[in-house]
Amino acid sequence: MSAKAFTRRDFLKVASVAPLAGALIPGLRAGQAGAGPKVRVVLVRDPAALDASGRPDGEVIGRILDEAVSALVGETDAAAAWKRIVRPDDVVGIKTNVWDKLPTTSAVEQAIKRGVMSAGVPEAKLSIDDRGVLRNPIFQNATTLINARPARTHHWAGMGSCIKNYIQFVPRPSDYHGDTCADLAAIWNLPHVKGKTRLNILVMLTPLFHGIGPSSYSREFTWPYRGLIVSRDPVAADATGLRVLLAKRREHFGEDRPLPMTPHHIFLADTRHHLGVSAEDRIELVRLGWREGALV
Amino acid sequence: MTAQRSSGAARLASFIPRTAGPWLSEADRVYDAETIFQYLDGAGEVYRSYNMKLLVSRRFHKDGRPDIVVDLFDMGSPDDAFGVFTHDLDGEDAGTGQGSNYKAGLLSFWKDNYFVSVQTEEETKDSKPAVLDLGQRIAAAIPKNGPAPKLLSYLPPEGLEAGRVCYFHNYSILNYHFFVADTDILLLGGKAAAVLASYKTAGGESKLLVVAYPDEAQAARAYESFGKNYMPDAKKPGLVRTEDKKWTASARAGDVVIVVFNADSDEFAMTQLAAVQELMAAAGPVRK
Repeated sequence: MSAKAFTRRDFLKVASVAPLAGALIPGLRAGQAGAGPKVRVVLVRDPAALDASGRPDGEVIGRILDEAVSALVGETDAAAAWKRIVRPDDVVGIKTNVWDKLPTTSAVEQAIKRGVMSAGVPEAKLSIDDRGVLRNPIFQNATTLINARPARTHHWAGMGSCIKNYIQFVPRPSDYHGDTCADLAAIWNLPHVKGKTRLNILVMLTPLFHGIGPSSYSREFTWPYRGLIVSRDPVAADATGLRVLLAKRREHFGEDRPLPMTPHHIFLADTRHHLGVSAEDRIELVRLGWREGALV
Repeated sequence: MTAQRSSGAARLASFIPRTAGPWLSEADRVYDAETIFQYLDGAGEVYRSYNMKLLVSRRFHKDGRPDIVVDLFDMGSPDDAFGVFTHDLDGEDAGTGQGSNYKAGLLSFWKDNYFVSVQTEEETKDSKPAVLDLGQRIAAAIPKNGPAPKLLSYLPPEGLEAGRVCYFHNYSILNYHFFVADTDILLLGGKAAAVLASYKTAGGESKLLVVAYPDEAQAARAYESFGKNYMPDAKKPGLVRTEDKKWTASARAGDVVIVVFNADSDEFAMTQLAAVQELMAAAGPVRK
């Protein structure tokens, strides 16, 4: 063991000054604030993003995604904003998540597709895929990736995150399960992935804030948050989504209830793999739309 | 599917009823330790850390009612069936199998080598009794009980919160229950067997960790690693007052390492260590 371990005793030293310490150990050491420019994260919400029966409303989701992308890149026109994300000659892989209990949803997938096509990318040059990305010719030749998945607690990684959504880009996902998925961000440095991701969308329509049972899911522990978190930086998007999940857990349980496993892969993505920014004070959070119950 | 896996799956399937009131079962799905990720994503690592052998999953469907899913795991030993059951102890005792709990539409229990989860997608006035009844029928179909892990007999009974004892092999699972360190300073390595128990004390709650290693040499290395990383400032070997004014004490006895955390006093910590060693002497070694 070369580096000094971060122990319970180190935690005791900082717990009194770190408000979410109980929920984030041992990611505490990795989640320190640092110097550098802020990265922008857009949180957009609309009460109409889900219809009366709780289904995603494609039209509303398309509109709020366009608003978020516009705010992210600083454009007022959605088509112009999408052109800042993709070029007409790009080959675009839209990495979705098909987990049956809480998928990305086709409403979000189609909203992304419309945005990409509005930038001039022909339909034949884009593909939406999850578990088949390694065999998908569009993904094999992609010049651009767009990453979209729902936020949820996860029984091993702590959080089902944008970072984790790239696990399908490796042939043996279990190779990255060590130390409760600590080094998932390493996947983002693989040659077929590195530098290609232009947009990350953490779907916050009905996030899962607590998991039970083998599948780590119960509808009882989802809630209609009706939003999206959008950023170029997957780490910042995940760190923001994590704050929402932790706040919801605090609201529901009446205490800082730690996640099943600590989501330290998010903090290590910052400090060990330099994929993005996790510290709250380095994130510029732009809030759009519905504010009630935003939790952050 | 190999013949061995096929016969194992058939045996597991024989424990699960075909119907649950008006719910009818669909085709079984079978997973082993290599394929479990297809079903449970990374959460399969929890079951792998407890050496799972086989899982049969059966879904029950009835139009207009929430589905019910039975996941029946062969964990290979009663120790690991008990262990994976203790991974999540929230809920109320459902009186099923050798230990059970129920919460939010989920019944979990263990019996012999088996860990069983029966979960409805939504708890309703019909689905909850169906889940509990399914659990009782599965438990009745499993022919015998299995012994609880011998490590449990090393736990002093006085003040023990019996319903909160956890059994595991992996430091990430330890950290889930009680954060110790972000690396494996106790060198559990997946091969050691550990119990973590809670004791009510005047000042709150003390934790007792008892770890049985494959041999004395590994226990000695683990004891040294823990001392070096957790209590480098100890004035006396194996005893330190921590930043919250509580005490942590550790000892090694043969292939077992014992740690008391959050003790109100050094006296309580040392008494717990001695009590464990007395119980060990009476019960004999975990590994023969």
